[in-house]
Amino acid sequence: MLNIFKRLWQVNWAEQWQYRANLIMYLLYWLVSPIIYLSVWTSIASAKGSVNGFTAGDFVNYYMILLVADQFTSNIVIHNFAYKIQDGSLSGELVRPIHPMLTNTLVNNLAFKALILVGFTPVWLILTLIFKPDFSGVTWQGVLLSIPAMLLGFIIGFLLSAAITSLAFWTTRVYSLHEFYYAVILLFSGQFVPLTLMPKIVQDIAQYLPFQLFMYYPIQLILGKLTTAQIIQGFVVGLVWLGLSILFFNFVWRRGVKQYSAVGA
Amino acid sequence: MSPEPILVEQLSKTYQVPEREGGFGAAVRSFFKRKYKDVKAVEKVSFRIEPGEVVGFLGPNGAGKTTTLKMLSGLLHPTSGGASVLGFTPWERKSEYLRSMTLVMGQRNRLSWDIPAADSFLLNQAIYRIPDDEYKKTYKELDELLELEPLMKKPVRNLSLGERMKCEIAAGLLHRPRVLFLDEPTIGLDITGQVRIREFLREYNRRTGAAILLTSHYMADVTALCERVIIIDHGQLKYDGGLTDLSRKIAPFKLIGVMLSDADSHDLSRYGTEVQNEEDMDKRYLQVRADEVTRVTSQLLSDLPVHDITIADPPIESVIEQAFNQ
Repeated sequence: MLNIFKRLWQVNWAEQWQYRANLIMYLLYWLVSPIIYLSVWTSIASAKGSVNGFTAGDFVNYYMILLVADQFTSNIVIHNFAYKIQDGSLSGELVRPIHPMLTNTLVNNLAFKALILVGFTPVWLILTLIFKPDFSGVTWQGVLLSIPAMLLGFIIGFLLSAAITSLAFWTTRVYSLHEFYYAVILLFSGQFVPLTLMPKIVQDIAQYLPFQLFMYYPIQLILGKLTTAQIIQGFVVGLVWLGLSILFFNFVWRRGVKQYSAVGA
Repeated sequence: MSPEPILVEQLSKTYQVPEREGGFGAAVRSFFKRKYKDVKAVEKVSFRIEPGEVVGFLGPNGAGKTTTLKMLSGLLHPTSGGASVLGFTPWERKSEYLRSMTLVMGQRNRLSWDIPAADSFLLNQAIYRIPDDEYKKTYKELDELLELEPLMKKPVRNLSLGERMKCEIAAGLLHRPRVLFLDEPTIGLDITGQVRIREFLREYNRRTGAAILLTSHYMADVTALCERVIIIDHGQLKYDGGLTDLSRKIAPFKLIGVMLSDADSHDLSRYGTEVQNEEDMDKRYLQVRADEVTRVTSQLLSDLPVHDITIADPPIESVIEQAFNQ
């Protein structure tokens, strides 16, 4: 199995490398909305002194780390997979004795991330020079804890995206549904606005959803803003969602493959 | 090993296809209420294929050939009926089954477009868990038959169609499958390319004893490789038997071609049915029952100014076309 992943990595890495220019576009797309939120919130905070206790500096710190967390926890399953169901090119992968989603697509996502990090790192460093975040509150315990948190976030996000993408087995086109899902993430992950600034009810819901693991939760871990109780709760909720998303993905996938009509040729 | 590699019983597949008329009104209505039509792609098809057999699977476009192959290779679930290949139910998609068969479609599917075929081959080696020595041996054999080596280092997108097809087929055979489903394996190839692939498949079948079920639009593929053909039309089995019997049963005719001086001035209708042959416009062709050939030939020779005369079997294409029209 390890050998399969090694070969898949070589193939996907070489493939991604072919599309460097495309990757830069992706990177820009990825950076645009967090930077916009950062700019909007810092200017509001500077004008008013603070927003519910969040100063301009707090927003800068939050969003600079959000950019990093987003790199690690996000995925491109929808772009990598949905078209294969639509045009039938999945057939070639389905006749192979390995799971197309949990091997090839997973590795493809990882190769994509690895390559995009190469471009992301210098951009992020330049952004720190521009926005001058204050990372004095960052603790090494927080950083260490954020690694399993982001890993959990990535796996859950990957499985949920994979399940939603697999709905293409029925509807053929899933992009609009995925956009809706993305809007939910935007709200509950803390990308649009740090969750602590949300109405109480949204915060209450968000802490039981998996989406805070994508951004808000690891950011707060790194910035050392969570109590021990909150840290434990975050991981427990994450593990429960890990189980749920495994079940959800399996459920959709098994039925989807039965539904597959292998169009074309 | 199971005694029969492929056993198909009453296999059926019905697709539900959304249906609407053209125009804006119909588009709006179909948004709220979709109408579906049942399309019976494959209807109660049964056959069995023994180990080592090479069988041509024929039928006009949309007859259900590809749908059947997709069910047998585990891509599609049938609506009803059953099949067992090498003792497995294909659509359960057990890894062990997927490792012992191959599906090659006349389009790209196994090779990644952006990287050299060599890398995709190594990936397949890992996926199918082929030990190094066995991989080398199989690769060497495939290279001998298909001359792969010069193609292996180029990105697949830069290969010609024929070169790519060779690599596709080789990639599909690295794991030495015992059952081969080939859908149009020579599509788009020039004559030399077609002959190459045909020879290769014959040799592979001889060496490994694998069963092969192939569809093709090139009758030469079928006549060169298959002693037996299965014909389906509109999803139903029309014929299953020897290729030679097929001509005898369906078209017990011969074609007599004659070259005449003032070709157009003679009336040939009293000798037999005149047919067009676009490949040879110099001659006029008569379709004559096999048992009448001798009589008609001698009559033609004595009655008319014949320069040249040929007697041949009707092309298999027209035989099969007749089979469909029955």
